[in-house]
Amino acid sequence: MNVWDPLVRVAHWSLVASVVAAWFTTQALHEWLGYAALGIVVTRVVWGWIGPRYARFAQFVRGPRATFAYARAFAAGAEPRYLGHNPLGGWMIVALLATVALTCASGWLATTDRFWGVAWVQDTHEILADTLVVLAGLHLGGVIYASLRHRENLARAMVTGRKLPAQPGDVA
Amino acid sequence: MRMTGTVAGLLAAAALALAASGGQATGLATCDSGPRENWQPQDKLAAMLKDKGWQVRRIKEDGDCYEVYALDEKGQRMEAYFHPRTLAPVPHGSKNHKG
Repeated sequence: MNVWDPLVRVAHWSLVASVVAAWFTTQALHEWLGYAALGIVVTRVVWGWIGPRYARFAQFVRGPRATFAYARAFAAGAEPRYLGHNPLGGWMIVALLATVALTCASGWLATTDRFWGVAWVQDTHEILADTLVVLAGLHLGGVIYASLRHRENLARAMVTGRKLPAQPGDVA
Repeated sequence: MRMTGTVAGLLAAAALALAASGGQATGLATCDSGPRENWQPQDKLAAMLKDKGWQVRRIKEDGDCYEVYALDEKGQRMEAYFHPRTLAPVPHGSKNHKG
């Protein structure tokens, strides 16, 4: 069934592309990739309020109780399958979007006359970018784990938008 | 599974990129500047540029050059490279600039 709508998928892969490309570039190209990434994040956040069911933050951002309950089940190897984001995956989306936004904002700040060449601004930008790589690695790890665990290629689901229908015991 | 291999490859690439980023050179310019004991102090470069009317914000090392962030005498943002031995300007794109 269709879970990830076209905007979610295009935003996901274009954000991947702009962040990876920004990692390997400098100067004007790097700056334009940063503006593109920020634009994608803003679009995705707005979509998280007005988009269809599985795009919405309200659908996948769970409170601490539900998140810790999921984490305990995960640690015990007994976590249920979620048709949308699972609670840990949902918080990872929030963390990734926030980190990209802060990386872009600090990068922009570093290009202003006021903060040009200011060490803490440059260092903050670099630490945020490194944090983003770590988070992206954990996100990938979670995708691989959940794909194997529930026998469903989640990377492909983010291309096609389709996931296997909910089975008994799944959280739709 | 082929997918797992692909994703594991991406994960490894991300880890490598991060590992390689410590003190990574930008590639904007590189200098053939030899042993560090022959380098001139950064303070001397800063004083030289201040005399030209630049407002020096930060001096770093990049690609064995000195990399200077400054506002020039016209208030323009500058990211300029200088040779650590001669303190001569190094244009962007220079490879192993001799100074």
